[in-house]
Amino acid sequence: MFEMGGGVEVKGGKKTKKEKKKERLEGVKKEMDIDDHEIPIEDLEQRYNTNVTTGMTSTFARQVLERDGPNELKPPKGTPEYVKFARQLAGGLQCLMWVAAAICFIAFGIELARGNFTCFDNLYLAITLIAVVVVTGCFGYYQEFKSTNIIASFKNLVPQQALVIRDGRKDTISAKELVVGDLVEVKGGDRIPADIRIITAQSCKVDNSSLTGESEPQTRSPECTHENPMETKNIAFFSTTVLEGVATGVIINTGDRTIIGRIATLASGVGNEKTPIAIEIEHFVDIIAGLAIFFGFTFFVVALFIGYSFLEAMIYFMAIVVAYVPEGLLATVTVCLSLTAKRLARKNCVVKNLEAVETLGSTSVICSDKTGTLTQNRMTVAHLWFDNHVHSADTTEDQSGQSFDQSSETWRSLARVAGLCNRAIFRPDQEGIPIPRRTVVGDASETALLKFTELTIGNIEQYRNRFKKVAELPFNSTNKFALSIHELEDPLDLRYLLVMKGAPERILERCSTILIKGQELPLDEQWTEAFQTAYMDLGGLGERVLGFCNIYLNEKEFPRGFSFDPDELNFTTSNLCFCGLVSMIDPPRATVPDAVMKCRTAGIRVVMVTGDHPITAKAIAANVGIISEGSETVEDIAIRKRIPVERVNPREARACVINGGQLKDMSSDELDDALRNHPEMVFARTSPQQKLIIVESCQRLGSIVAVTGDGVNDSPALKKADIGIAMGIAGSDAAKNAADMILLDDNFASIVTGVEQGRLIFDNLKKSIAYTLTKNIPELTPYLIYITCSIPLPLGCITILFIELATDIYPSVSLAYEKAESDIMNLKPRNPRRDRLVNESLAVYSYFQIGAIQSFAGFTDYFTAMAQEGWFPLLCIGLRGNWEDTHLQDMQDSYGQEWSFSQRLYQQYTCYTVFFVSIEICQISDVLIRKTRRLSVFTQGFFRNKVLMSAIVFQILLGNLLCYCPGMPNIFNFMPIRGQWWAVPIPYGILIFVYDEIRKLGVRRAPGSWWDQELYY
Amino acid sequence: MSGGKEDEENDRKEHKGSWGDFFWNPRTQEMMGRTFKSWGLILLFYTVFYAFLGGMFVLTMYVMLLTLDEYKPTWQDRLTTPGMMIRPRGESLEIFYNLQDTETWDRYVQTLDNFLKPYDNSIQVQNNDNCIPDQYFIQEDSGEVRNNPKRACQFNRTMLDFCSGLDDRYYGYQEGRPCIIIKLNRVIGMLPGRDGQSPYITCASKREGVTLGPIQFYPPNGSLNLMYYPYYGSKAQINYTQPLVAVKFLNVTMNKELSVECRINSNTLVTGNQRDKFAGRISFKLRISA
Repeated sequence: MFEMGGGVEVKGGKKTKKEKKKERLEGVKKEMDIDDHEIPIEDLEQRYNTNVTTGMTSTFARQVLERDGPNELKPPKGTPEYVKFARQLAGGLQCLMWVAAAICFIAFGIELARGNFTCFDNLYLAITLIAVVVVTGCFGYYQEFKSTNIIASFKNLVPQQALVIRDGRKDTISAKELVVGDLVEVKGGDRIPADIRIITAQSCKVDNSSLTGESEPQTRSPECTHENPMETKNIAFFSTTVLEGVATGVIINTGDRTIIGRIATLASGVGNEKTPIAIEIEHFVDIIAGLAIFFGFTFFVVALFIGYSFLEAMIYFMAIVVAYVPEGLLATVTVCLSLTAKRLARKNCVVKNLEAVETLGSTSVICSDKTGTLTQNRMTVAHLWFDNHVHSADTTEDQSGQSFDQSSETWRSLARVAGLCNRAIFRPDQEGIPIPRRTVVGDASETALLKFTELTIGNIEQYRNRFKKVAELPFNSTNKFALSIHELEDPLDLRYLLVMKGAPERILERCSTILIKGQELPLDEQWTEAFQTAYMDLGGLGERVLGFCNIYLNEKEFPRGFSFDPDELNFTTSNLCFCGLVSMIDPPRATVPDAVMKCRTAGIRVVMVTGDHPITAKAIAANVGIISEGSETVEDIAIRKRIPVERVNPREARACVINGGQLKDMSSDELDDALRNHPEMVFARTSPQQKLIIVESCQRLGSIVAVTGDGVNDSPALKKADIGIAMGIAGSDAAKNAADMILLDDNFASIVTGVEQGRLIFDNLKKSIAYTLTKNIPELTPYLIYITCSIPLPLGCITILFIELATDIYPSVSLAYEKAESDIMNLKPRNPRRDRLVNESLAVYSYFQIGAIQSFAGFTDYFTAMAQEGWFPLLCIGLRGNWEDTHLQDMQDSYGQEWSFSQRLYQQYTCYTVFFVSIEICQISDVLIRKTRRLSVFTQGFFRNKVLMSAIVFQILLGNLLCYCPGMPNIFNFMPIRGQWWAVPIPYGILIFVYDEIRKLGVRRAPGSWWDQELYY
Repeated sequence: MSGGKEDEENDRKEHKGSWGDFFWNPRTQEMMGRTFKSWGLILLFYTVFYAFLGGMFVLTMYVMLLTLDEYKPTWQDRLTTPGMMIRPRGESLEIFYNLQDTETWDRYVQTLDNFLKPYDNSIQVQNNDNCIPDQYFIQEDSGEVRNNPKRACQFNRTMLDFCSGLDDRYYGYQEGRPCIIIKLNRVIGMLPGRDGQSPYITCASKREGVTLGPIQFYPPNGSLNLMYYPYYGSKAQINYTQPLVAVKFLNVTMNKELSVECRINSNTLVTGNQRDKFAGRISFKLRISA
């Protein structure tokens, strides 16, 4: 009783330990919970013992530095190289080979102990097995090393500097030395050195896109605007950049305690998922090991029954188990995967882990980040409203889209306002670069307008020079407009032109007329309504809308030389003439809608998970087809039916947009439900933790999940995903580190290629494995017959190794070049529980049907060679004892001739070679039938796979070399055999081919029938 | 993560539960994953499949056997140089015995007795011809008409003289002058000499500086007369008597292991193959303790 109690306690103790670990991780997963942004500044000063004007004292700062450590992120624990290498040696197949090698050593040891010093086969076999594992390990390691090298980005070695105020003095110090409570000053272009609470700010904007996914610059100001620290405007985060303006702030978190640090910790705390292919290979190893032990044990019993000693039977048992190990398979799988990896790399998908090559093929859900992945991460003018019409601008990256009608007079005015009332300028010396890709100094919307006008009206710099600017008022958040005053192009016209842009409602307030087809019309109710509709429409598209207006200032009131004072606004700013609206969006990449469509036809669900706002997210989702045309959310249905949201049956809605706030309140079951019920999902305003939760939820539902992303905020989800795909250009280091695959061109469409290649390699690996497994039986049966019928050994160990590792490698790899049998992109993703890489019917068909035919071919050839040399088949049975007696130099054959031991041995080698040739001939037939699983080989194209054809030629040539190269008999036990013996197995080869064509015909003709179920693999 | 673990556990539980069901699942009437009908069908399929394969195998074997010649193997690729063998051959070509201990050499004597029984003159005269020496005894078939059974030449036991076991019942073993009989392996159609020169056997010590002492060969010179060749196979030449050469070691150093190598000397057979230690030669060990 006592002992039992103790046991339970120990168990309980373990559990709590596990739970604690889990809890810790859950804790990290929870939202950041601080109040530093809410408390009054005085409290903050007290809390961190600082002062918002003079900063901390340097002595105290030093103390804090000692307490908290330097302000830097602990570098992620990189996997040591030897661990990476060791991992290459510890896969499922590798383990099988290690066990086999160990068994070989044991068998060899037993043989030695019994005093048999001549049989080194087991030793050779063990060494070869180990060599194969090590060589393929090196190969795999080299492959991964190479792709890691491509990915490895140059770390920013220049230490970051920060402007800190301590003891009332400004000082530039290394950002590492900053501590909590330090007062720092940042300005446009700086990276924020730690998480800071803003104390003062002047038109300060930061780019949070890498952290939150928001593509728009975020204003930072001293007011606390939200209780959530991620949402409030008075906190700026470590590693984000200041786009413009200046700000001072107090550091509230440093190093790993910053938001970014927490995300990094989260990412490193998330376990890597096993790749589907690794799971498949383990399953396959289980099958092999099971069969091996079954066979071994059966023949162990048989051997005991026949009358062998226990030790001998044990050795046979081990030999059979080892013979079952497909030595060549590891190399085949590794080479096939790396071929695909290479093919993908050519299409700009770099795979960090070879096994991840296949994962995309099994993927059933893609959780895609929006900014930078689906979109260009570049504000672009999308729509214009003038002449009471919405015009679409060309948003494609290469300006290949349709443009709108630019003949209207109104357009000219609108373009003039857009071009002139704009402070953004191109960086110099960019003539060669296409306009959309040029770098610009200025904020996002002005940049968009600058590029837009440059594209539509030509060289904007010259254009601006023609209209000399006399005064300007930049945009600020109180006015919500910007204006500038220009001289006119025509030197005779002495009027000034005032151009203004800003929030549409503010602009409209100041207008009294509206320009329609070049005519100034009074802005009456009707036009106001038209304006409202247009504004709502464009806003509903998730676009940022700006209004534009202008006025020619009265020549008399404002003569030349009038000094305009933008601060005092000593000039007309009302009764202006409204020109139109321009709306901007971060547009989707051109290739994305098509790629999303392809994913859909391939049965892959694309879910958007973004940090951006729901409206924008939904608009982009609809734009790229994540929410398909005609799909409605619950809210849409409610509006359409004019009923409250609560009364809508959620199951009617195909689409669903969930934002982070809602997600926070959902239990995991509710989330699962939502994912189950709505095929089209968009998650907006999500935190990195929530992204992780979403991925987990998808995985709970049995999906294989791919996550695409570029920002730090995506990295935990990237790691958790079955395959994380990071963007190569826009992607942050954290994202690239966590990812399994990198898209070098940031092109979402490459994912489709990845899916296609993944599915193809899955199918082709199946074929390669089937091909490789088949010959296991003709390699094993000789030994079984040798044991049970005591015939001279028909096939030697070294010969088997040559089949496995030399002649048959190239053909099995060549199957990786086979084209898809059907349109694999129109099929559903495979079900990881049902559609296995190696299923029972594949193993059974390969082993017990094709393998059996090959064995019969081998034995036919064996007995032919024996009989023609003087040993009739019936004599062979039971011959073994004398045959292997090294001292018996005059053994009689069927004709009465006498043979010495060496002569018999060379005859045995001849048998090996003959058996080898039989397997080769049958394997040629085998590789041809493996080209397809369902289609007729003739439909697939007999000679279409050139690599396969050359592989067959290679196989024959190598076989001939082994047979006829002088010296082979004594080195590798190959004998120059008679040409006739090559022909003996050919009928069996033809049988294999014909039989498989019949099988495929049956499978095609009667889908779902008994034949299909039993014989389709 | 937690979900994954739970799933795993569930799977394992299910697995455990289904282990008993695997053999007999009463719910689906399945035994080892299949219903009886399904088992029946699959077994029937494999029966037919293997019956066909077995039939094909038997057929090809039958056709192959039809192509074989009853009297002569199709190929003799391995038998270009015939092997040699000794009698008695001991456990592993080692002839060790003790003069004092009768039992140690008695078994050799018995072996030789048995071995030489068919060579008794009476049997030889009854079955075999007295051929013309120093020339091949060729008995070719005339086209399709077989010239069977073929005759064989007499090799009388008396030709071994002191080693025939007729005068000296113990073949010299009891007096430390043992006889060892050497034979050349039978190979169909082999012609071991040219120009009427019969091959002969010589013996020497394998170790330098060790002498074997005087050796006597029977028949004289240790030659294998050409008239015993060619051999026509056990089926055509039922009474073929293999020619023998007896070697008598006349003065062996006692208590010392001798390595003896005997080889055939012929102007047609190639000997000296490095790999095959028994092609046209034989090595054995001899030690007589006193």
